[in-house]
Amino acid sequence: MKSKINKIIYFLFDNLIWILVLASLIFFSAFSEGFRTPYNLVNILSRTAALGMLVIGQAFAMITANFDLSSESGLGLTAMVGGLLLATVENGGLGLEVSPAVAIAAMLAVGLAIGWINGNLITRLRMNNLIVTIAMLMILRGLVYIISPGATAAFFPESFKWLGAGSLIKIPQEKGFLAVPVSTVFIVLAFIVAHIVTRYTQFGRNMYAIGSNITAAKDAGINADKVTRQVYLISGFCMAIAGLLAAGRLDSATPRVGAGLIFPVQAAAVVGGISLFGGRGNMLGAMGGLFLWSILDVGLPIMKVSPFWIETSRGLLLLFAVGLDAVRVQRMRKRALAESLSQSEIGMADTNIIVN
Amino acid sequence: MNKTKMNIDWIKLILDNFIWIIVVAVFAFFAIQMTNLFFTVSNFINILLHASVLGVLVIGQTIVLLTGNFDLSAEGIISLTTIFAMWLMATPRTDAGGAQASGLMLHPFIVIPIILLVGILSGLLVGTLITRLKMNGFIVTLAMQLVLRGIALIISEGQIMTGSPKLFNWLGGTRINGFPISVGVTLLMYIIVNYLLNQSKFGRDLRAVGANIDAARASGFDPKKTITRAYIISGFLAAFAGWMLLGRLETSISSLGEGMTLETVAASVIGGVSLKGGLGSVGGAFAGVMLLSIINNALNLMDVNPFWVQGVRGFIILLALLIEAQKFRYKPKVVHDDPILENKTN
Amino acid sequence: MNRNETNETAILEMREISKAFPGVQALRRVDLTVKTGEIHGVVGKNGAGKSTLMAILMGLEQPNEGTITIAGETYQSMNPQEAIQAGIAFVPQHVAMMNSLTVAENILAGKLPKNKIGLVDWKKTNQEAKERLEKLDLHLDVTKRVEGLGVAEQTMLAISKALFGDAKLIILDEPTASLSRSDINRLFSFVKSLKKTGASFIYISHHLEEVFEICDRVTVVRDGKLVGTENVTDINVAELIMMMVGEDVAEYSRDSTCTDEVVFVLENLARRGYYEDINMEIRKGEIVGLTGLQGCGAEQLGKGLFGLEYRGIGTVKVHGEEFTAKRPNDSFNQGLAYLPQDRYRYGLVGVRPLKENVTYPILDRLVRLINLVNRSEEKKIVQEYIEGLEIVTPGQDQPVRLLSGGNQQKVVFAKLASTRPNVLILHEPTQGVDVRAKMDIFRIVDEMAAQGVATIIISSEIREMIGVCDRILVMNNGRITEEFKKNDKNTTPENILAAIEGETEKNE
Repeated sequence: MKSKINKIIYFLFDNLIWILVLASLIFFSAFSEGFRTPYNLVNILSRTAALGMLVIGQAFAMITANFDLSSESGLGLTAMVGGLLLATVENGGLGLEVSPAVAIAAMLAVGLAIGWINGNLITRLRMNNLIVTIAMLMILRGLVYIISPGATAAFFPESFKWLGAGSLIKIPQEKGFLAVPVSTVFIVLAFIVAHIVTRYTQFGRNMYAIGSNITAAKDAGINADKVTRQVYLISGFCMAIAGLLAAGRLDSATPRVGAGLIFPVQAAAVVGGISLFGGRGNMLGAMGGLFLWSILDVGLPIMKVSPFWIETSRGLLLLFAVGLDAVRVQRMRKRALAESLSQSEIGMADTNIIVN
Repeated sequence: MNKTKMNIDWIKLILDNFIWIIVVAVFAFFAIQMTNLFFTVSNFINILLHASVLGVLVIGQTIVLLTGNFDLSAEGIISLTTIFAMWLMATPRTDAGGAQASGLMLHPFIVIPIILLVGILSGLLVGTLITRLKMNGFIVTLAMQLVLRGIALIISEGQIMTGSPKLFNWLGGTRINGFPISVGVTLLMYIIVNYLLNQSKFGRDLRAVGANIDAARASGFDPKKTITRAYIISGFLAAFAGWMLLGRLETSISSLGEGMTLETVAASVIGGVSLKGGLGSVGGAFAGVMLLSIINNALNLMDVNPFWVQGVRGFIILLALLIEAQKFRYKPKVVHDDPILENKTN
Repeated sequence: MNRNETNETAILEMREISKAFPGVQALRRVDLTVKTGEIHGVVGKNGAGKSTLMAILMGLEQPNEGTITIAGETYQSMNPQEAIQAGIAFVPQHVAMMNSLTVAENILAGKLPKNKIGLVDWKKTNQEAKERLEKLDLHLDVTKRVEGLGVAEQTMLAISKALFGDAKLIILDEPTASLSRSDINRLFSFVKSLKKTGASFIYISHHLEEVFEICDRVTVVRDGKLVGTENVTDINVAELIMMMVGEDVAEYSRDSTCTDEVVFVLENLARRGYYEDINMEIRKGEIVGLTGLQGCGAEQLGKGLFGLEYRGIGTVKVHGEEFTAKRPNDSFNQGLAYLPQDRYRYGLVGVRPLKENVTYPILDRLVRLINLVNRSEEKKIVQEYIEGLEIVTPGQDQPVRLLSGGNQQKVVFAKLASTRPNVLILHEPTQGVDVRAKMDIFRIVDEMAAQGVATIIISSEIREMIGVCDRILVMNNGRITEEFKKNDKNTTPENILAAIEGETEKNE
């Protein structure tokens, strides 16, 4: 009986995020008319698509028990690079007015370069990944300001903006059309692809192996350093795509783009079940985390909650998620030993099962 | 074996105090390059002013680092305490920029202890979460920072408030013959804390916990309490720095203190405090503070894009990490796990 | 054995292996031979050199002298990769698996079967893993996460993994530490069945009865030297123990300082999984020995009393007052001090100076205003101990990790003595300490007992205990089963050994 209850509890825990998503959807829809319009619902993810790409990148890193806190600045930098290359001089760019393809290629190059640097600093020079990526956070943000002569670069070609701001399908409504944004569909697809990669490729499984127990993984012949570098490259790639999404959606790039995202990225990932300790959680859960975040992001303002309260609640959510993660992992780690203690016949008078 | 150990110790000694040589060298470099701008009394004072606030934070960070943990919440505490203080103290004379002050018009002598208490409580909360729930200190303090800044935003409604009362400002604003007393206060704090860390039970406690938490426990220390206390002190000092800063600027903005947190880590690491815990002193950290303040100042004078400065800070942190990684190369090999048998004399 | 001869049925031959660490000769010309398909026990006390020997075999350390021959290939030295290639696998006490992943994934890590599109085929993975396990007659739910398995299953899985990795020789390090009897049975029948597949095992354990249960031959290592290798059928437990126990025994004898006053009482102490029905009364000035196999519960009892671990239920009284300490600090304050077995991990903060290590627990006494340590008084006290215990050190500021083992132990003693305990619990006090220092240590213990300290010595050095203790209590499977009194004619090493093993034969 007890094990059945345990099973139910574990199931709930594993899928907690979806319960929360459902609950919040129902809650906000019930309380706010503005929330439950088709337009709003369809656009929830569109607003946070860029964030979602960063969540994917961070989730990759976290599964291997690493952090990449530089991603928000990577987003800013790639967006600015793209913007500068595309915009005319009047609109704050360099006046090069390159083709969107070139701009995107450049952004990808920058993102991958960032990932390459991070990966190498951490694996070859053995530097602490938290501090390195935070240092990169600062350096890259500084770079963004340096390379942008004016404040904003804006007004980009349509084809460039397609991913971030374009519409995929137009569903006829009573009055006019309901446009389903490309970004919404894209981000969901991106998560699905990420899920396939992490669940169904050798590389993805190697990531989990390293995160779970790096020694055992190495013993199995997995090249932990190489996988780590690849993961940071992926994170860098995600930064570039995020930059593309953001620049497309806003039709501009400012030095402050992406600033502050470091927290929602962490929060969404952890709430979605990706453990800070590594080796746990999946991309679909992370997507759920993104969902939840996006719902709160849209729903709270609609309910007229002050933006400052929202800021605070973000920190609290992160704290809560991290706390839950810590408790959960500690429990799991002690399970085997606790079980063997409870099976022991020595000291039956002592009903406490304490694993030291 | 002894010979190599001697050499290793010398290298370590030089590395440990090398930082002061660098500080002097860098100072001299800028002094020569930009004599007119840099080598003036008023500029020195600027350097010291920045160093005084940073310095107070670094004391707290060093104490936490000695136990083998991080405190990234200092910025948030500064933000919250400055805004909270203004909010409590604001009189009709205060320019609240459209925000609603509390209307309490509390006397500075009441407000100062209150904000110091805020710092203490924040540290207490963080310390408890880290020691009891075994949460990752880095992320917890990062999240805490967000929460604190958020609360600051809520209170200030994003507005800037100017005009803090004189009685509040004395710490940050008073100058004697042009020399700010805040600098003197910080220097005094360093001397006292350095002395205390080396001579007190608490100093031993911190270092033992950071170096070998198990042995520390078996020797009668309570690592949970120690670590929590370290965070409480760090929180208190951050609030103190907030008091200083508000007093000097007489203005509270929610973005106050932005970017300082990592500077504190950088300063500590440059100054020889190990990220692994147990090693280092505030004296060395102070050298790091001076170095960073000098570089900050020089870059400002050279009219370097302020965001270059951000970038440079990041580079310095990376450099500090590299140095840290190199230092561990010279450490004598870890003692073998197997209890070692004594060398037989027969 | 002729140096040039190779035993063809041997999967492993380690010859004349010597290894020195700074200031220490860990191994001295040790030989070890394991036959193919054999389960070979390696026994010896902590610090005897087993760990070093295994480290060399695994390529983690390189021997100064000697050769290693695995399946015919001879090596002067190996690195870990070469050891794995050669077929050596290590199953540690706390198995190192990827706990958050499933059994199947652990088995096939790095080599997961793919389907036609190149994606991981989980169905196939699970199936293949199941098949592999079933070949070894092991039935596990391969879709379960490893952390959800019992410890026995985890161990068996680790062994299976090693075999799947083409391991020829698997080293099992204390595999039964957290296992119940039925678990042990399962593990043993599993390992025995594997012999038929040609797998060879080195079995390291302190549980001597298990060695007899599962091993074919056993090698005894003592003080870095090979004592001998025997067929398990040719010797009995008592003889084995004799081989293990050091000759470097400090022959220390003392007159009893035991008084009539009972100062330390344990009433019905029990801790789930470790010990039960623990009742003891220890008198002022009495030295009581507590001994047993590893896993008998003595270690946990010591740690529990001191507060390093959970103590369990039951009452403890010191001088008639209830001893409520749950933490080391409280224990010191209430008059109980503990010398840990692992002094590197629990005993000393290596990088800190000698004087600091000595005074950690008594800083409250040495503190003047605002928490400042009275340095001159500290210096005086530390100097007293340095002289009194004859600690050899360049100075009070010497980091303790640079001292020799014996002196380090003395520093720990100094620390404990400074707390002026009423009760002293020592766990393997002479481990890793040379003969001369051992005598010094016993002198210290003697003096403290003479001053009235009630002492418990948890040790496996039976001869030493006979010389020093007023009584020796034997623990078995969590219970106190025998008591031997000083100067009683039944108090012989042989009888005590027998009691430890659970066989009693008393001559009235």
